Amino acid sequence: MLEVTGLRAWYGEAQALHGVNLSVGEGEVVTLVGRNGAGKTTLVRCLIGLHRQVGGTVSFLGRDITGMPAHRRARAGMGWVQDDRGIYAGLTVEENLLLPPKVSDRAWTLDRVYEAFPVLADRRKAPGTTLSGGEQQMLAIARVLRTGARLLLMDEPSEGLAPVVVARIGAIIREIKETGVSVLLIEQNVKFAATVADRHYLLSQGRIVEALDNSEFRRREVQLLEHLGI
Amino acid sequence: MKSMHIRAGAAAMTGALLLGACGGGPGASGGDFTGGKLVLAVLNDQSGVYKDASGPGSVKAVKMAVADYKKKYGDAAVVDDIEVTSADHQNKPDIANTKAQELYERKGADIILDVPTSSAALAVATQAKNHHKLFIDVSAATTQLTGARCNKYTFQWAYDTYMLANGTGTTVTENGDKNWQLIYPDYEFGQDMTKSFTKAIKGAGGTVQGAIPTPFPNDNFATFLTKAGSTKPDVIGTMQAGGDLINMVKQFNASGLKEKGIDLAVGLMLITDIHSLGVDQFAGTMFTDPWYWNMDKETRAWADRFQHETGTRPSFEHAGNYSAALQYLEAVQRAKTDKADAVVGELAGKKTNDVFLHNGEIRAKDHLVIHDTYLARVKKPSQVKEDWDYEDIVTTIPAAKAFPTAEESGCSM
Amino acid sequence: MNAVLQYAVQGLAAGSFYALAALGLAIIFGVLGVVNFAHGAFYMLGAVTAAVLLDTLGLTLWWSLLAVPVLMFVFGVVVERLFVQWLLRLDPLYNFLLTFGLTLVLVELVKQKYGVSGLPYKPPGILQGRAELAGVVLPRYQLFVFLFSVAICVLVWLLMTRTRVGMIVRASTEKPELTRALGVNVGRWVTPVFGFGVALAGLAGVLAAPFRAITADMGNNFAIILFAVVVIGGLGSIVGAVVAGFLVGLVEAFGQAYAPTFAQILIFVLMALIILVRPAGLFGREEATR
Repeated sequence: MLEVTGLRAWYGEAQALHGVNLSVGEGEVVTLVGRNGAGKTTLVRCLIGLHRQVGGTVSFLGRDITGMPAHRRARAGMGWVQDDRGIYAGLTVEENLLLPPKVSDRAWTLDRVYEAFPVLADRRKAPGTTLSGGEQQMLAIARVLRTGARLLLMDEPSEGLAPVVVARIGAIIREIKETGVSVLLIEQNVKFAATVADRHYLLSQGRIVEALDNSEFRRREVQLLEHLGI
Repeated sequence: MKSMHIRAGAAAMTGALLLGACGGGPGASGGDFTGGKLVLAVLNDQSGVYKDASGPGSVKAVKMAVADYKKKYGDAAVVDDIEVTSADHQNKPDIANTKAQELYERKGADIILDVPTSSAALAVATQAKNHHKLFIDVSAATTQLTGARCNKYTFQWAYDTYMLANGTGTTVTENGDKNWQLIYPDYEFGQDMTKSFTKAIKGAGGTVQGAIPTPFPNDNFATFLTKAGSTKPDVIGTMQAGGDLINMVKQFNASGLKEKGIDLAVGLMLITDIHSLGVDQFAGTMFTDPWYWNMDKETRAWADRFQHETGTRPSFEHAGNYSAALQYLEAVQRAKTDKADAVVGELAGKKTNDVFLHNGEIRAKDHLVIHDTYLARVKKPSQVKEDWDYEDIVTTIPAAKAFPTAEESGCSM
Repeated sequence: MNAVLQYAVQGLAAGSFYALAALGLAIIFGVLGVVNFAHGAFYMLGAVTAAVLLDTLGLTLWWSLLAVPVLMFVFGVVVERLFVQWLLRLDPLYNFLLTFGLTLVLVELVKQKYGVSGLPYKPPGILQGRAELAGVVLPRYQLFVFLFSVAICVLVWLLMTRTRVGMIVRASTEKPELTRALGVNVGRWVTPVFGFGVALAGLAGVLAAPFRAITADMGNNFAIILFAVVVIGGLGSIVGAVVAGFLVGLVEAFGQAYAPTFAQILIFVLMALIILVRPAGLFGREEATR
């Protein structure tokens, strides 16, 4: 589904990524962990096409998309759930849902979205940012599901949310996986990552330093937490 | 090698000296001209708000005067080589100041003509005084040029604020509009005009109910007009000029004050204002005009020539520049030199008539040129017979009554 | 009371020009991130075009209100395609300088072609004179200007809230990057949005034609006040632009009535006060920075 080979990225003269290799298979949930400044956000911005100063290749569904502009990547099936949730204050909840265009026949109908997230149905006419943090996170996820995206890039979905809400988000991610949609999850919350993901990458100083499966990941939780400085 | 250089240089210098000596104009008339030629410089607004009313048209008018002078005197002319040059002062006093210096010192100008915008004209007057060269103001209206800040080398040819205010203020008040509200732009010209208007209105037995200062420039006069109309005056006098005047008149017409029987009198109106706004918007407005192209056969004939040259009818500034240049050339002819003191001597006190000056006198005491002026009324659209045919001359104000007396000017040279 | 009402209508009429033009400025800024310095020149071109249409083709104000925005839209599209688009990827300062230069060129071209004294314009007879409303005598034209621009503002508001284009404009104003990353081809809307903003400035110019001096320089002073309006309303805020437009008109009118010499300064005092209290303007969102 997603194949990244030798990805390098720069901010002017400063190199932020030094040849990242990773892959996400169909229906797979993969996390990317790393401490602040490891290059996680840069990596996501490269993948969705907002950071263009790059080398190496990114291929998606068998196509090389390295030079493709952001809106065409989205139309190819890449869905971004931004770390601050990216909810528009000037748009109602429903408009937030309707803004991105449908990209495949997997697209959820509005009815299905409202069935899965009843709270959004109740607040459909309210400005997007009047929702609570957890509700906004659900709106952000629902928004990309409605487009029929094949791969979700989720940047820190658990950040700043109450444990109950985090558990609910975890459940949603598992449901998504069931439908055959892939997820690349950027996380610092190792415990949460272990509950939803199949595989894990550890990013440090712009390089993938380790690739672990879930059982190994659980075993080395303490060491990983130490690495992340939590 | 070195001595060769020196010798070559010396030869060149001698040559230049010889040329200079020979180039003193036609030897026959025994002329005495610096650089062998006479240079007339027009310093005015070539690109801004006064471009149409004076600008390049005034340069053309001065060239017409030179042509007429040459035609009249032919071989008897005291100078053959007459150059007309021009510069743009963008209505800024500092630029006017530098340009005047440049014209007098490096371009060899014997006289500077025109110079709209009072502050710019005052700067040029100072330069004229310092350089002992002539300056004839045509387009600037401040009374200071021939009043408190007069000097031997500066003449005011066409009009001043006193004349504008006195003509309109007195005549309109005498015609029955006794109660006035004045609206004026809050800078030198506006304040000057308001003072003169107030004096004239009171002198004719009227009252000024209020005088409202406005920002300058300004495009929104609606509320100022409502405020002025609230005391129910007979007439509102506006001292706005150029684009501001057009804003004012459009908004006066939209304000409904006209329907309430309130008239509008304009302090300074140029024919280009009427042309640009359309005669219907101004119809009936009274103002004082130093000159109008369609007054008589002679002015009309000259206006035809001017139109042939430029494509438009002349404003009073255009005619004024023509007249100033022509009278200057006549004075040079009589003085047989371009030496400023001699030419000033020929000009001062001269009584004359030309296409612009009717019963004109170049007053010796303050160098204000007095002449007949006119109270004009803008025609109704139905009365307009041709393009630029906009004015009815209501009364002629004789020269002696139109301008301040030499005592009132307060000039001491 | 009567006088106060008159001042209010005059203020709202003056504010109408600001509101319409500022609306265009806000929409352009929202989608392109360009502070269009040439907006005053586009306002001037609108008025000049109306005057030329009346003079050459005999098109009255009614037709000009329709035709001039269309022409200005086309002109805006041409300007965007020829110049603005090439600088969009660079620092916004480049487009600011470009539009500033464009202003100088347009003003000078109009001066060359039509002179500096201005052009005549005669409004339709029905809009001349006064109207009586509940015992208050009001100048008809100013009343018309106010009502007309309120109608346009409502139309634009409907366009913004009820259509997909409007939704995209609002979205990319607020979060330009995310909007693209969500698959919206914002680039497709850049050209028409620029044209639309220019058309609104032109429309304000047409409305001003019967009421203000039509000269090449008419946009210069206007543009300065316009930027005060946009700062007061909040850069990029569509509602803010309209509200601040009318507010500034009112401040100007009441300033003229009660403190004539300070009328224009008052606007900038208001601007300074609002920046002190709310740096992002009345309706600006601080997070909506680029």
